[in-house]
Amino acid sequence: MRSLRFLALAVLLSAGHAHAQPAPSTPPQAAAPTLIAPKVLSDTTVLYPDHARGDATVVLTLVVDRTGRVTSAVPSEVNEPFSSLATNRALGWRFEPATRNGVPVVAKIRVEVVFHEPEPPPEAAAATPEPPAPARPGATKEERVEVVVLGEHPEPSRTATLSRAEVRQIPGTFGDPFRAIEALPGVTPIVSGLPFFFIRGAPPGNVGYFLDGIRVPLLFHVGIGPSVVHPVLIERVDLYPGGYPARFGRFAGGIVAGETTLPNPELHGEYNLRLFDAGAAVEAPFAAGRGTALVGGRYSYTAMLLSLLSPEVLLEYWDYQARATYDLTPEDRLGVFAFGSYDYLGQKTQGEPLTLFATEFHRVDLRYDRHLPRGKMRSALTLGIDRSLVQQDRSVVSRLYGGRTEVEHRVDHAVRVRAGTDFALETYGIELGSQVLSPSARRAAENFPSRTDLTFGMRGDAVITPAPGFDVTPGLRIDLYASEGVSAVGIDPRLATRTQLSERLHLLTAFGIAHQPPAFVVPVPGFQPGGLRGGLQRAVQESMGVELDLGDATTLTATVFQNAFFDMSDPLGTTEPELDGCPPGSYPDDSIGGDYGATPDTPPDCANRFEPGTLGPDRSGGGGQGADSRGGRRFAEVFEVRTLGASYGLELFLKRRLTKKLGGFVSYTLSRSTRSFGRRTYVATFDRTHVANAAVAYDLGRRWRAGSRVVFYTGLPKPPDPFDGSTRLPPFFRLDLRLEKRWQLTPTVWISAVAEAMNATLSKEAVQSECTLEGCAAEEIGPVTIPSLGVEGGF
Amino acid sequence: MTFHRVLVLAAGLGLSGCSDPQAEPSPPCDQECQDRTAARALRETMKLVYNITLQGNAVGPQDETTPCPLGGKARVFGQATSNAKFGSTEVSLTYELAACHSLSRDEEAGENYDMVVTGSVSQTGTLAVQPTATTALVMQSAAITLEGDVYDPPIGYSITACAVEMGQDGNQLSGSLCGRQFGVGL
Repeated sequence: MRSLRFLALAVLLSAGHAHAQPAPSTPPQAAAPTLIAPKVLSDTTVLYPDHARGDATVVLTLVVDRTGRVTSAVPSEVNEPFSSLATNRALGWRFEPATRNGVPVVAKIRVEVVFHEPEPPPEAAAATPEPPAPARPGATKEERVEVVVLGEHPEPSRTATLSRAEVRQIPGTFGDPFRAIEALPGVTPIVSGLPFFFIRGAPPGNVGYFLDGIRVPLLFHVGIGPSVVHPVLIERVDLYPGGYPARFGRFAGGIVAGETTLPNPELHGEYNLRLFDAGAAVEAPFAAGRGTALVGGRYSYTAMLLSLLSPEVLLEYWDYQARATYDLTPEDRLGVFAFGSYDYLGQKTQGEPLTLFATEFHRVDLRYDRHLPRGKMRSALTLGIDRSLVQQDRSVVSRLYGGRTEVEHRVDHAVRVRAGTDFALETYGIELGSQVLSPSARRAAENFPSRTDLTFGMRGDAVITPAPGFDVTPGLRIDLYASEGVSAVGIDPRLATRTQLSERLHLLTAFGIAHQPPAFVVPVPGFQPGGLRGGLQRAVQESMGVELDLGDATTLTATVFQNAFFDMSDPLGTTEPELDGCPPGSYPDDSIGGDYGATPDTPPDCANRFEPGTLGPDRSGGGGQGADSRGGRRFAEVFEVRTLGASYGLELFLKRRLTKKLGGFVSYTLSRSTRSFGRRTYVATFDRTHVANAAVAYDLGRRWRAGSRVVFYTGLPKPPDPFDGSTRLPPFFRLDLRLEKRWQLTPTVWISAVAEAMNATLSKEAVQSECTLEGCAAEEIGPVTIPSLGVEGGF
Repeated sequence: MTFHRVLVLAAGLGLSGCSDPQAEPSPPCDQECQDRTAARALRETMKLVYNITLQGNAVGPQDETTPCPLGGKARVFGQATSNAKFGSTEVSLTYELAACHSLSRDEEAGENYDMVVTGSVSQTGTLAVQPTATTALVMQSAAITLEGDVYDPPIGYSITACAVEMGQDGNQLSGSLCGRQFGVGL
């Protein structure tokens, strides 16, 4: 969303031997008939630099060669960090070259880049071409031609974009853009601090994570760990809660899409050292600036810290990122991006540690990018391996062989077409270990067979501006799924509009259908049900909202949404039922977890603990040794049960840029999420009526900055309790705090000391009811809290 | 484990400040301690054999043989019936264990074993699904042989052709092994 991106406003001035001509979107100007000025083809969006303050203007002199490549960019004066950032970005821009009598010529032009502090996400003005900018001070008055270069129009279905500069100011996120997703409207946390969430009623397994278009199997380290990609590499994170662009598919919930920073042909780096981990990233040019190389990573020494607090727990994680690019020609770039992560959770014993959960994944993306006369294209090959281990000796290994092509073409100033294809061949190898499985466990395991899955997709959409102030984006994607000899096709139409109602007010609509194979509870590398049992899940998503620019860097967004889910696999919402009006020794037979509709006044059909006429299990000691149970059978059923789902609600997002002296936001979601199974419709297991986040960040002066954030949400639904008429567990509230002191050692070298605490109030959270025949009691966990002291720096 | 509990576990990985004294080094394990783990190994081996072979079978006479997880084999035969409404199963069975090898790894030191069992054990009483009925069993053997390791860190354990008498009340197992008394919670 442009509000979080820098509005790149380039005023192109005629100079040297190139006579300029008006750009298509600008009023006609006097120009020599045979001389055409260079025209910008690139997205000239430049993010506002981290840690900078205030507005700035950088005047660059660019030399654009006959191929349209910028061979030189020289600022008229040094004003760091703005001048370096503008210069670096400009060196990567591409132009239609200047022409004389139709023949390309070298041109020298002056470009004025105006930096404003990041604007809020729902920036109304970005939807339409802005009027030509006024002449800048110092601009030559003769033969002046003004070209307004706008950033990419925000997608109407994208409700929020977070840049790293802003995320740094949100307490409780630890500067991690992906963790900040939980503060956005439409996002319902499962448990405070745990980075898995429902988005507009869709379960975590239906939320897709992407990084530069690559699906990421695991976005967060184990437990309440940070994301698996170092923040320094993240340019921005977008949230698409529904009706997303056609380039996103195979997830029937929401999309969290991260984009990495552009290659920067100047040596720079960043590092951080915190209580629980340390990380660093460095990028440097090579081959006289034609290539760049970046390496980064992070290592957690949480085990050392945990050894003081929870001596029996072993926890370890690390991740890495590496990227290299090389410009073969001014139009052709080769690149490779590799990243991966490792997590280990174990239990100390006197002998060998017990592995409770271990997982790792690795991805290598080989890319070829080409600038086209009116657009760009990318071809990429992705290789990957995932490995997960649970309960000591049960493991899954999957390998990915994927590829994708993406093409973007600007037909004219009013039509931009985007298309692409992609495929993924994934092999899964499952090892169940030497333990004897109960019949139910074997049944559940049948959902995860060793196999090879194939997925192929194609998509296309067009961003059309039929009239000033009105954008419409129709799109379609088709996906073919094949697994274990079964195949299915998902046909997903999409439609989004953005309409300017007034200078400050826009109307946004988004509609889409999305398909997805059956999903696991939460994203875990390798854990993907096979065989397409029960068919594809399907979601119909629609939303309508308004964006209002209140001025003074403040915006308000209000959105209503409605989603319908069909053939939904929602293991989280399909847990085994509690004692619920059935006589001792039996359980409701026609309900699934979360279905609290049955009460003692309306007794449901009840089932026995095992089939009459058969021998029951030997459950001495509570289970194990292959003993089956009613709970085990329910556990197996959750992978087979398909439900209907619905969600609807209202989202409000009031925000003043967090990088202002006083900035902050209020995010509020009022929603209801339901499931239908068998004969009843009931409130979903993780439904929360109210979810609110409020954050404030304040510049105290002398480079001190403080912030706080409060989080509140309604408790989860609870089973009926004869001794308590309430229908929900207690609500949850927590307070996060952040304090930062920054030292600017040189114009480009800085260091900060940061103190941060998530859940400074040490609040406990009720997560479920434990019910007996005497009634139910809320079971609390926590306080789950993360204190952090750290040092961050960059150059 | 319910999904809720999975989440609770995951969320609990936060620095919740709680501490568990179980990380303390295991106390020394004397003969009585070793017998407790050995009795557990025998009982859980029988439980495993039952669940592999008879669980879910039709009521009536039973006679089945199965390989054990890590080698050897087991035969179980006799009579069994059930009352599904109350979650109880009445058994009168004999287990013939031929070098039946099984293993248990757990964070509790006393629940670790790697044991090979040989011998014949009778089992009579009620297997119950808690909490609607209570397990009540009597298990006897004139000569049982156990060979392997018990405890964590492992301690070698070996008895040959010993008499065993065990009673189980709920999840409490007690009795005598080679004439030495023991009591252990399953």
